[in-house]
Formats: sequence, C-alpha cells, structure tokens
Amino acid sequence: MTSFDDELSRRNFVKLLGASMALAGLDGCSRMPGEKILPYVHQPRELTPGIATHYATAMMLDGFATGLVVESHEGRPTKIEGNPDHPASLGAAGIFEQASLLQLYDSNRASAVRSAHAPTGWEAFSEAFSPRALRNHVGGHGAGLALLLEATSSSVIADMIATLKGLYPEAGIHYYSPLARTEASIPQYDIRAANVILAIESDFLAAGPMQLRMSREFSDRRREPSADMNRLYAIESAVTVTGSSADHRFRCRPSMIQPVLAELYSLLGDASVPAQRAAERSYGGITSSALRVIAADLSRHKGQCLVIAGERQPPSVHALVAAINEQLGNTGRTVWRIRSPLLGAGDGSFSIEALAGRLRDGAVDTLICIGGNPSYNTPGPLQFDGAFRKVRNTAYVGLYENETGQNAKWLVPAAHYLETWGDGRAYDGTLSVVQPLVQPLNGGKSAVEILAAVCGVEKSPLALLRESLGRTGLVGETAWTDAVRRGFVVGAAAPRIQGPTIVVPTAAAPEKTDHIDVTFAADSRTHDGSFANNGWLQELPDPVTKLTWDNAAHLSPATAARLLVGSGDTVLVRTPASSIRLPVLIVAGHADDSVTVHFGYGRRGAERLAAGVGTDVFPMWPATGAFVSSASVDRAVDAGQHTFAITQSHWKMDGREQAKSETLRSYNARQATFKPDDHPPPSLFKGEPPPAAVKQWAMTIDLGLCTGCSACVVACQSENNIPVVGKEDVEKSREMQWLRIDRYQDGTEENPEFIAQPMLCQQCERAPCEYVCPVGATDHSPDGLNEMVYNRCVGTRFCSNNCPYKVRRFNWFDYNAEISETEKMAKNPDVTVRERGVMEKCTFCVQRIREKEISAEVAGTPFLGSSVVTACQQACPTRAITFGSLTEPESEVMRQREGPRAYNVLDELGTRPRVRYLSRIRNANPALDTEQ
Amino acid sequence: MPALFPRWTNTAVRTVLISLAVVLPGVPISVMAWQRTPGATGSGYSPDQPVPFNHLLHVTDFRIDCRYCHASAERSSVAGLPPSSACTACHNEVWSNSIALAPVRQSLATNRPVAWNRVNRLPDFVYFNHSIHVAKGVGCETCHGRVDRMSQVVRTAPLTMQWCVDCHANPGPKLRPVDEITVMGRAVGADQVALGDELVRRYKVRRLTNCTTCHR
Repeated sequence: MTSFDDELSRRNFVKLLGASMALAGLDGCSRMPGEKILPYVHQPRELTPGIATHYATAMMLDGFATGLVVESHEGRPTKIEGNPDHPASLGAAGIFEQASLLQLYDSNRASAVRSAHAPTGWEAFSEAFSPRALRNHVGGHGAGLALLLEATSSSVIADMIATLKGLYPEAGIHYYSPLARTEASIPQYDIRAANVILAIESDFLAAGPMQLRMSREFSDRRREPSADMNRLYAIESAVTVTGSSADHRFRCRPSMIQPVLAELYSLLGDASVPAQRAAERSYGGITSSALRVIAADLSRHKGQCLVIAGERQPPSVHALVAAINEQLGNTGRTVWRIRSPLLGAGDGSFSIEALAGRLRDGAVDTLICIGGNPSYNTPGPLQFDGAFRKVRNTAYVGLYENETGQNAKWLVPAAHYLETWGDGRAYDGTLSVVQPLVQPLNGGKSAVEILAAVCGVEKSPLALLRESLGRTGLVGETAWTDAVRRGFVVGAAAPRIQGPTIVVPTAAAPEKTDHIDVTFAADSRTHDGSFANNGWLQELPDPVTKLTWDNAAHLSPATAARLLVGSGDTVLVRTPASSIRLPVLIVAGHADDSVTVHFGYGRRGAERLAAGVGTDVFPMWPATGAFVSSASVDRAVDAGQHTFAITQSHWKMDGREQAKSETLRSYNARQATFKPDDHPPPSLFKGEPPPAAVKQWAMTIDLGLCTGCSACVVACQSENNIPVVGKEDVEKSREMQWLRIDRYQDGTEENPEFIAQPMLCQQCERAPCEYVCPVGATDHSPDGLNEMVYNRCVGTRFCSNNCPYKVRRFNWFDYNAEISETEKMAKNPDVTVRERGVMEKCTFCVQRIREKEISAEVAGTPFLGSSVVTACQQACPTRAITFGSLTEPESEVMRQREGPRAYNVLDELGTRPRVRYLSRIRNANPALDTEQ
Repeated sequence: MPALFPRWTNTAVRTVLISLAVVLPGVPISVMAWQRTPGATGSGYSPDQPVPFNHLLHVTDFRIDCRYCHASAERSSVAGLPPSSACTACHNEVWSNSIALAPVRQSLATNRPVAWNRVNRLPDFVYFNHSIHVAKGVGCETCHGRVDRMSQVVRTAPLTMQWCVDCHANPGPKLRPVDEITVMGRAVGADQVALGDELVRRYKVRRLTNCTTCHR
C-alpha cells in the first residue's frame, strides 16, 4: 500500500533506469527455486489434499448470528459464504461476514497476553483473575468487580454469567455495542406478505441483523414485473441503499420524522392525534399531499402492508409506527414481536451508562472488558475513557490492541469466531452454532474461556457449550451433530409475544427549525469502527457515495450552498456534547437542514490500517445514545481542501441509458408488443459463431433487484485474490476490484432517482480488448470466455484503453508483495496471485467453472451450466445475478436474456456482451408519478 | 581531397556489420535454445530426499500400487504424498529400526511432517489437475516416466508449455485404457493410433488448448 513517496532525482532515476535495463534480461534466467512438500503426519479422514472442505458456522454482529458456510483449503479458511438453510442468511453473505476472513489473518491482531506492557502469558492472567486472587480485591460478594461484554445472545455466555453471579453476587454485568438494539422485545417482519412497504429512516435492505433475509423476501416479490409486485416507499434523511431502491423516495428532516408519522397516523383514521389535516405542510421534502397518497395506498392493503421504522429511531417513533401497523391490521400478519434474545435487553442496569456511573463513583476495583472498544465507541459526554483509566485493575480481551486495549492494565488476545466454539441467536431467535475452523492463530481466548478462568471453572469451551445447549433442549449426540453440521437448530425461532402496550405519543409541536439536525449513522463499511482495520472494507466504495478510506459530513446541495461550502471543504459541527471538524461531502438526495455523520473512523488504536483514516464522531454523540441530535454547522475558513478517494466522479447517464429503468405501466405497454430482436447490431470486429458443442457462458443482472449493497464486490475480492491498493492509489483511480457498482442519478439534485448497476467484464463475443493485445495475453475461449492470461501479459494496457466498459484493472505496484505472511493464507489457492505490471479482470470465476467441469467429467455425470455459481452470484442477497449456459434453452439465464427487459450495455458498439442487464421496473404509484 | 577514413575502416565496418548480423539474432536464438535444454527445464532433476525412498523396490519388487501412497490422484487436483503414518503401516513390521526411516519415526514422534523435495514442479500460474488426466486415460508413466526403475525419483518430463500443448493438441497417441493407468512400461503397439482415436471417443477427450484450461 505504499507508493514511491520520495521524489526521484533525475540522477537517481537514470541510475535506476540503467540498472533495471541491465538486470531486466537476467530475470528469465533463474531456475525455479526448490520447493518442499509437506504431507500430513496423520491425514485427517475428511480431508483430501486439493479438495476444499466446507463447514457451517455463524458470525455475531451486534449480538445476532448470521449463519455461514466457510470454505477451507487444507485447514485454512479462504472464503466465507452464506448458509443456504440459515434463516438470517438464506445463502447470501453480507460484506461484514465475508470480510471477517481478513480479520482472522490480520497481522495487526493482538498476539500476546500482557500486563502493564510486559508479556506475561495466559497462566499469569488466569492466576491473577482466579477467584482466589480476585476476592482479595473485589470483596467476597464481588461488589468491586464489573464486567463489560459486547451485546450477545449466547446461551453459554449467559450460563457463565450465571455461574459468575453465583460466585460474585454483587458483580456488575454490562453489555454494550453502540449499534445494538436494547429493547426488551424486537419486531419481526414478513416482507414477503407485504404488498406495500413504507420504510421510515430504515435501511432494512442493507443494514441490521436480518438484512440478508429481508432483501431476499423483498426481491422475491419483484422478480417478475406484474400486478403482484410489491411497492416500497421510503422516507429518509440520508440516502440509503433502501431509499435508493424504493419506488418512491421522499426526503425528510430527521426531526420531522415524528410529525410526519403523526400526520400519517391521523390520516389513517385516529383523530385523537392532532394534525394539521387541512393545511398542506412540507416536512423538508415530503408534503401532506404525498402522505395522503401513501396513506391511501396503505389503507388499500390493510393487513398486507408494512411500516418499518429504522432500528435507531427514538422510542416515540417506534410507538407511532407500531400504532400505525396496528391501525392497518398488520400486527400479527406482516409484523410481530419476539422477546429479544440479547442478554440484559430492556434493562437499564446492564447498560454502559450504569457502568459509567459506577466507575465515576469509584465503586469498581476490577473491570474486565471482553470485546468491544468502549474507550473509543462510547458517547463523548459519558467520558468512559477517562473513568476506565482510573480503575485500579482493568483487563481487555480483544482482537486488537485498540483504544481500550492500550489503556487496559491487562491485554488478552481474543479468539476470532473462526477459532472458537460458541453459540448465539439469529434475529428471529434461531439457535446458531459457532464452529471453529482453525486453532487460535495468536493463542487467542474466547469470552467463554475468560469467564471460565474468572469463575475458576476448568472445562473446555466445547464442553461448556454442550452443557449449555443441553439445557436449551439440545440433548444427545445426534441432535448435537446435526446442529453443528447445519450450523443451527431447525425450527428454533422464538415464539411470538404480545408487544408492549402502545402509547401513541401526542405529536409535539415541530421544534424550532433554526438549527441543523445531525444524524449519527452506522458506517456502511467500518460499522462502528470494529472493521476499520479491514482493507477490503476500507476500500469498498460506499454503496451510495462511492467514498473509500474516509468519512465525511453528508450535506444536501441546498444546505451546502446555504453554508457556502462545497465537497472537500471543512465544517465545524457543534453539538451540545462537543464540536468536530469534518470534511463536507455533498450528497444529492440528502435532506436539507440536516447533516449525517458516520461512526467508525478516526481510530487511535494499534491497528495500522485504520490509523489516521477519517474523523471520530463519537465525542459529539449525546450521552443518551440518541442517534439524532441538534447541531450548528459552520464553515471552517482556515482549513484547506480535503481530498476524498471516491471511485465515481460522474453520476449522470447523459442520455446514453447504460442503466435502464422504467415504470411498471410503461413496461406493461411495451411488453404487449415485444418481439425478440434477432439481429445484433453490426460489429467492426470479426468473429466466428461459437461452437455449439461446449457450454457458452452468460450472465444476466436484474437491475430491478440489485440494491447496490456491494456484497458481490467483497465476494469477488475474496474469491479472486484482488489486492487492496490504499487511499492514494484509489485517488488515482487505481482501485483493483473487478466488479464495481456504478451508480446513476436521474432527475433533480434535490430528489434524484437512483439506480445501481454492477459492472464487470462483459465477456464480449467481439471483444475490443482482444484485438489490440500485442502478445495474445487476452483471448477467447471456445466456451465464450474472454480469457486473461497473466503470465503472458507484458502490461501495455492497450486492452484497457480499448475497453468501452472500463472493467480492466492494472497492477501498478506489486500490491501482493506487501501483505503479511498470515494474510497470504487468505488467498484462494485456485486463482493466480498477480504481480506488478499485469492486467487483470473478471473471469466469470473461471476457476469455479473448470472445477465443476472437471468433477462432472471425472464422475461421468452430465455437466449442467446451472451447477456453476459465481462468487458474486452466490453472495447476492436478492439473487439479482443469474449465470448459466446459452446452450441450455431451458436455463434461467436464457429465459431472462430473451425477455423484454434484457438489454446490452453500449449495444451499438457491436461488442455483443455475454452479460445482459434486465431493466429496472419501478412499481410507481400512478397518483405520485409524474412520468406518463 | 584525401580519403576521410583510412582504408582499414572498410574491413572494420564489414566485420562489425557481419558480427551484428550474427549476434543480434544469435543471442536470442541461443537463449531460446538454451531454455529448451534439460539444464534449463529441469528435466533430469533428481534431488536427494530426506528419506531415500526407493520406488524401484516398492513398485517393481513389492508391487505396491501407485495409489496406495498417491491416494488422491483419481479424485483431486493433486496426487498427494503419503502421510508419515502410511509409511509405518508396513514399517512398523519391517525395517522398523532402519536408519533411513529415522525421519519418518521422528515425524511421528514430533508430529512434524517429513519435508520432501518437490521433483515435478509447475509454476504457480499453472493449474494442473491429476484427476481429469487419470479419468481421460493419461497414464502415470506418460508424465512421470518409468518410476518403477527409479531408485531415486527423477523428473523425466521438461514440463514446458510446449510439452503440455503437444499432447493437449493431439491427445490420442498418449492415451491408454483407464484400467491400465498405473501400468509401467506399457508397450505402445502399432494399433495405438486406432486405439487412441477409440479412447478419444470413449472418454470424450477434448483438445483443450485455450488458455484457461491451465491458467486461471
């Protein structure tokens, strides 16, 4: 990730030039170095060298589990995929789950137990925190002991906490993850049953513990344009993936959400809530007349519609939304509640505020902090960090020596979830098993092992887990084996419960409007900062803004103009808690008079990649943990221009219609007269018809289903060994992702329509790149792949210049030479690791094609095109990507290719791409639609 | 006007021009020729191994099948090397105290693998798959040579791309029935042309010479 920082003098340049010329010829003379083969001592029965094995496991994020299947090569996890049977995954995997692989191999992980900066070893820790030693300090009842854990739903942790409470009845137990839900009961949704969905500041398609399932359910009602299509309205301040996928998106100031809902509530028929029904009001984007249309649409689908409030909205908003769902008869049909499986949910005594209070009172002698990063990710006014440092004895158990780890007296490296046994609940309550794939790389310890040491329990984490699961009803060897094999317990979703009594808040008069609303949002890539040291995620363009390696103050164009700032200028955001300088990023479609800031940057820990990236906004987060606050925003005149590394600079299609979108009405009209076009446009390039005897690979991407969530980008990066280049190189457009998601905006700057378009090598039948390569390094295969041969490439970059889709990537530096030895273990052994000076691009996951092809031929079974699943296709939560062979007329890809929605991007060039897109269909409400 | 250059320069220019005409194409040609010699390809390479395992003895005298040790050749991309425990399956009984087998015993005692020296090595950008070659009737001998006569394994093939492509472009002459895969010293009869054509049909052998057959 470094580049040549030093200015090269002319003299040095000539010297280097001479030396490299002289040595260049010798490069080919070296004999390949000798290599060792290390067979097993005892070969495990389930393992055949060269054949990958797959294990079910689960990852916890904010306390909830997502079921995964992890691919392992000779005991080395290399790829994380979704578990098709797990209710929170359904086969898809989000960006955090997939990128957690890189975290496992991160060379910055904490590697040794230390006490006061001296390495001590695990024995010293378990001795110092054993009941015998600890009692002397924390008192017989443990009044001086406090534990802080990440939000968790694990039964084995719950049991260990119970054991601990038996030992130390007065010990304080606290749970904290900044973005975790804390209510006692959590809403569950059946998106598939909803004809009309209204999302209120909710990014249910791309964030939260159930996003993968909800995306699938949402898309299942949109696969075919028909009267059965669902309709999504979104009312939001910042632009989210959900909002930009909505049929109708309305902007709204965050502080206006409650008045909007109050008006909607009264429109739907309860007159007890005062609302200015007569007066036409505007709530900073959405107007009363639009609300009336939405209310009418919702009323038409009573019991079959759904209103979703963002999980971080205040309780009053949730109460109003619950009341509206009740009014619409949705409760029990499209929405119901279960008891939150999170430990301590709904009880303030388990909160971090309670712990901060105890720390301030000096009541805590020993604080054990397992996971999380409270010194960084707590609200500034809580002053947790200062209180933490004053505690006599602190221990931090974490993956990294982060802000909290640096301040703790003891540091214990934590085990990654792929290194330890554990369990947790999915958002719907399904019991999921965390199965390790490797021994802890750095001797890390799991939360269970720490708790066992503190309780003086001498049992292995596996034994403790089996005991706990036995108590939940998982009895017997068969049940246990089945649960481990599947990764979860079938049919173990939590029972529905009666929600809390809904108290409809009487609409408060709209607050004074001279301030600016500030919204604290989870970052799409670093979440709450816990993924900040992950190169794949730092370099993943934000689904909406395409920003990498940074965070910013998001402002609407009008507000930015009012504040006399442009993108890259610095503003001073002042909240009652604190004031922070942030660079401005103007986001079309953002609500006026509000600013959105993102957690997860400005890290100060020992993580090398995360250090110095972006700005920390936790200090200005109100102590209450409210995600919306009021602020003043002023231009900081003395600051220079900030440079963002944004991967897309132009957002308009300028009439070329690369990403097509139409309303359901216009599609229906067009479809009636649709005839497939058998005459491809003329091509400048010569080409022969492909042989029919072999497969002809092709892909379709449904723009109506693609939300732009970017799971495919990370899947591709992981599958194809794509390097991370760093911020400076992204600024120079040298990012390496083979699959990018282009984003287009249509309409006004204030309220544009968005469309996301995954763009990858189109595998043109008449590929312009192939004709210009002087060394034949890119060529066409009989099965219709545009092949890229790295070992032939000499790096002229002619191919990239001639590619109209700009999907070829060039290795400007030897990015892979700079990664650590452990990170090399994350590489897919089936794909070549490219070096400097080599062009690369999407191969349609040719390694997966060949693997399936070979195994079918060896087994003598028919080889079906549908048996090949590309990495992007596999990760996609909405199944927008279809892959298959044109030689199979019955295949899904053929059906889609020949349908009325299919089109080629830049068709007029005559490249005849093998990737076809299906135009997006907006199920627009005619009452709101301005388009005819 | 006197001559601008002395007479000897004529010879000098001629000499230089002729040697340039020889050297300019000559250097690359000799480099390319050298690249194909066994010295450059590594054909004939036979490193000493930590255990002097004798294929001649085990294959010819004891008639142990190749797949007893190279167990995954039919299923996986790699043929596999035997785990240390496979050696002691027999060598617990015979030669159990042999000095030659000390590394194997040590491997089992310390749970560290025996570090064999690779003989047949392909570059990292080449993805060779044993199972498909076995399934299509390419015998062990075709690439690995007469292993049954090797007391110490020698690389017999140049493993150059040309060598691979020769067979990929015209596989027939090198094929044999699948049940004779491990046969060493199989006689190539006059009917090999006809047999090759028949096997190409029977095993549906394709002429795969496109790049992603091997480079991914």
